[in-house]
Amino acid sequence: MTATNLPELTVQPSATLGKQLQLFVLPIATTALLFGFALVDSRVVSPGNLINILQQTSYLSVFAVAQTIVLITRGLDLALGPTVSMVSVGAALAMTQFLDPSTTSISILLVGLLIGVGLGWLVGLFNGFVVAILRVNPFIATLGSYNIALGIATTLSGGRPVQNVPDVFTNVFYSGSFLGVPAAILFAVVIWVGLHLMLNRTIFGRSLYLIGTNVRAASVAGIPTRRVLMLAYLLCSSLSAIGALMLTARTGSGEPNLGGSLSLQALAAALVGGVSLTGGTGSVGAALLGSVFVTILSNGMNLVQLNGNIQLIVLGTIVIFGVTLDQYRTRHK
Amino acid sequence: MNVVAHRNYTSAIAVGRATMDVGIVPLLLLVVVAAMALVEPHFYSTGNILNMVRSASFLAVVACGQALVLIAGGFDLSVGAVIALASVLAAKTMAWIGVAYPDEPGLAIAAGVLAAMASGAGVGLVNGFCVAKLRISGFVATIGTMSVTLGIALILTNGIPVYGLPGSFVQQFGRATWLGLPSTIYAALGAIALLVFVQRRTLLGRYIHAIGGNPEAAIVSGVSVFRYQTSTYVLSGVFAALTGLLLTAQVGSGQASLGGDRMMLQSIAAAVIGGVSLRGGVGRLEIVTLASLFLTVLTNALNLLRIDSRLQPVLLGVILVVAVALDELSRRNSALDSHEPT
Amino acid sequence: MSIRNEPLLSLRGISKRFPGVKALDGVDLEVRAGELHVLFGENGAGKSTLINVIAGTFAPDEGEFYFLGEPIHDLHPHRARMIGISPVFQEFSLVPSLTVEQNLFLGREMVSYGMINKRAMRQMAQKLIADLGFDLDLHRRVGELSRAHQQMAEIAKSLLGEVKLLILDEPTASLTERETGRLYELIATLKAQGVGIIYVSHRMREIRALADRITVLRDGKLVKTTDAAATSDSELIELMTGRKIDVLFPTIIHQPSGVAVDIENLSVRGNRVNGVNFQARSGEITGIAGLVGCGKSELVRAIYGLEPIRDGTIRLNDAPYGCPSPHISIQKGVAYFPADRVAEGLALSRPIRENASMAALELESFSRLGVLNLAGESARIQQIMNQLKLRPPRIESAVGGLSGGNRQKVMLGRALTREFSIFLFDEPTVGIDVGAKLEVYNFIAGLVENGAAVVVVSSELPEVLALSNRLYVMHHGRIVAELQDDQKTEQNVLASFFKDSSMPTDTVQ
Repeated sequence: MTATNLPELTVQPSATLGKQLQLFVLPIATTALLFGFALVDSRVVSPGNLINILQQTSYLSVFAVAQTIVLITRGLDLALGPTVSMVSVGAALAMTQFLDPSTTSISILLVGLLIGVGLGWLVGLFNGFVVAILRVNPFIATLGSYNIALGIATTLSGGRPVQNVPDVFTNVFYSGSFLGVPAAILFAVVIWVGLHLMLNRTIFGRSLYLIGTNVRAASVAGIPTRRVLMLAYLLCSSLSAIGALMLTARTGSGEPNLGGSLSLQALAAALVGGVSLTGGTGSVGAALLGSVFVTILSNGMNLVQLNGNIQLIVLGTIVIFGVTLDQYRTRHK
Repeated sequence: MNVVAHRNYTSAIAVGRATMDVGIVPLLLLVVVAAMALVEPHFYSTGNILNMVRSASFLAVVACGQALVLIAGGFDLSVGAVIALASVLAAKTMAWIGVAYPDEPGLAIAAGVLAAMASGAGVGLVNGFCVAKLRISGFVATIGTMSVTLGIALILTNGIPVYGLPGSFVQQFGRATWLGLPSTIYAALGAIALLVFVQRRTLLGRYIHAIGGNPEAAIVSGVSVFRYQTSTYVLSGVFAALTGLLLTAQVGSGQASLGGDRMMLQSIAAAVIGGVSLRGGVGRLEIVTLASLFLTVLTNALNLLRIDSRLQPVLLGVILVVAVALDELSRRNSALDSHEPT
Repeated sequence: MSIRNEPLLSLRGISKRFPGVKALDGVDLEVRAGELHVLFGENGAGKSTLINVIAGTFAPDEGEFYFLGEPIHDLHPHRARMIGISPVFQEFSLVPSLTVEQNLFLGREMVSYGMINKRAMRQMAQKLIADLGFDLDLHRRVGELSRAHQQMAEIAKSLLGEVKLLILDEPTASLTERETGRLYELIATLKAQGVGIIYVSHRMREIRALADRITVLRDGKLVKTTDAAATSDSELIELMTGRKIDVLFPTIIHQPSGVAVDIENLSVRGNRVNGVNFQARSGEITGIAGLVGCGKSELVRAIYGLEPIRDGTIRLNDAPYGCPSPHISIQKGVAYFPADRVAEGLALSRPIRENASMAALELESFSRLGVLNLAGESARIQQIMNQLKLRPPRIESAVGGLSGGNRQKVMLGRALTREFSIFLFDEPTVGIDVGAKLEVYNFIAGLVENGAAVVVVSSELPEVLALSNRLYVMHHGRIVAELQDDQKTEQNVLASFFKDSSMPTDTVQ
């Protein structure tokens, strides 16, 4: 005779048809969206545009994955946008102003990379410190660093773009290709694969999920929660920095406004893809799916020449919609 | 612990609590004012003081509305956008009525004020619905409404200021002084006084603390969380709209660039520095007003000292983080001492 | 004691379903005016659900609800209070940042012209406190009060206004003997006034002292309603569990050897633990008994690294241990089992496998150089869970779907994932039914018989008396007794609470 299973209130794992159905909702919605736009303007499904969408998705997915990492820990990074701006301006400045013309290409590249990622690390360290050590709400912490990074970006750049980024940089991070695959997509794929492996197969990845589900329990079980959280924010900013370098190479200049509404876009992409704000769930796949959706959405809106301000409205509505869905999902699990 | 030591301990807690109640804001204010007196005599010119007091009163109005939302356990990021929308809507309405009925400036002003307040209340209702009914976190709901509201404001103006305000609105009210103080201050102070009264003497004031302090207790005691939490968002929206109106009167035109992220951040910083806890349930509007004054004085001081305006967001960000970190730390310490779970 | 025979409350055929579980199945309950009616049953038997239905927190799916002869529909907490049903819950319904007075009136403030009438409320509150004889400061914020005072405030709140039916859910859990006495007097007064009382408790002695009738629930169903005088303790237990329990506790063989944990003059910040000397030896179970809030939890938490230490030293196996932290404690072979498994032990939405391996991820069988060995982890955890007889043995299910007993098994599984030599159990069987308790006790017995040092902290006297070889008793943060052999009796434990006469007994902690 076994111990009775008590009629307690329990969290039922949902292995029902309902959940499996949920997995298909997003791809279906995305395809529907694509065809919806195509009906309005057939250019949407032209091969050129589809490649465009693929490239755009690559860029956005890097930021969405970055955001996902901290979302898993029940945090978020509002400063993602200004970090990108700051890295763009900083790296561009370093490569154009502070090197004399005789420096080798490799050195220029290294300088750009190091300064760029280094600046990203500064933000990441700040965020990580404030959230993990000072125990400040991630929202406030990154709201603070949002402003700090923005201020630094505008000050460094003097309000104007930093022109004439060296060719070697643009080549490696944008126009070049390896075995026929464009640089941007290459970087994106490496990040997707690398982060997926990290999340699923390393102690660090496991710790992220455990901390996001119950940070207290993780701490009691001996997981170094403060260290892991700091690294999470550091990783997020590093990825943002790489994304920033990619974008800078594409525009050819260091832009103090490159980040724009990226924080919101990356958040929207992650949320739509199914990453929860309450932590403990999320994956590279989710970030990818969400990025595809958001990219098709803004690509479509641009093609039909929807006013930029209306696009802002749509983005805001998407976020609310995505979060409501997330709430619904969490409560009916 | 013997009885004598225990009594000393209790009185120490009482003193500590009193200090925490009032906070370090008065002290900070004093320090900055004194320091500026030594460094920059221009600080004390009448013009500068009037300027500071007026700016402070605008910020205080938004901050008090924000404080109400925070106390009830929410978060309102849309205030900056509401200021912009209110400004634009008021200006457009006043201009339109001014053209249709050129001899009735009073009508134009009234219509404009109504339009602005209605828009603030409307955004507040949407926020309240999202948070209290759909159970979305205040952060995210108001990020969403912030984008939408700002988008609407930008579309209405295409980035161009809206002119055509009735002269009396700007000259007799926005830029005038009554009894030596900027006239807009009276409106601001009146609004703040109303809110303080509400907080201290009405059910709304009491219930906001209950909902923020322990929502389950509030529900079990029969308090309608939906009604009161939504009310805080509506009040916040209305007060942000009021600030938009006052700014428009001063500036002389409706602009979608008023308010914005800067003012939103300042309102949160003022609230937190003013003792409002981000966990909810704690806060006094009088202190928030003082904190608004402190922030304004600080910004003014920085301007006078010729610190680059582009660096000011940096400072603001740092102040915000430090203020919240200190709040967390002191909360944790007092929790340890009174045996609450941290 | 006058019991009139009109039923105050009459419930018939009450059923309530939650997703995945039928919490109440056709339960009948009748409470008369002036009667104290005990609700008795294991955790999960449906007592809380039934009380919540009566108090209006949620509506039953089926059944009839009559109060004072009137049928009741669509009840919610506020209306329940209005008609005289007054619940006092275990999880307090007080707002910490508001004062006692503000909390007393929450939801029913006296308002004139839209403004709160503070003076009238103050008068009423002062009269109530005086009548009750509680020493409560109306102007203190509830968050600053001791747990006992919070309990008193909660009770006062429930007695404000006209009460016809009072519901008490384990009210004496945090009260001292003296306060408990006050409560009993209060109950007697209320009964004389015709108030009906529903009383939930596990404590036999309390039930004997107070109950007129007892209703036993099991698995959401009504087992029996009986007169208290007519039923013996063992009959009650048999009704509650559905089986004869001969052996509640296993026999444990203690073979104490070296001192594994040596604490000297330990004090933690906030003084929950104050100048404590304590020792635990390998091969033996050392118990710590005391009332809720006496500091016994904090003592073991301090050893493990969850409470900030102000003073004193800790030695583990003769080596000094400064600056304890969970991570280091685990490395040193110390395992801690928190009292609140949900808050501090488990990640409910993660699978059993991940929860069980949480403390051992860096070991060789689970990972190499930071990369997880998923197959190895699965195999090892499956083996452990089989050993612990987890039913059903699916380690990929989320922990959130498990019963209290099975959740504790997952925690126990953690103990088997690596080499531990010191085990600290904090309320090891709280929230677990009698059958599963035995499995936990057997597990603990096994640990000790293998030579480990085990410390058991428990508020359940019978449990901690039966398990320990040596028993410490704590009170107000200090050790007030160390008992063993024939000194280790319930009488001596209770007596030791009064020994420490230098402490004013009503000090706020």
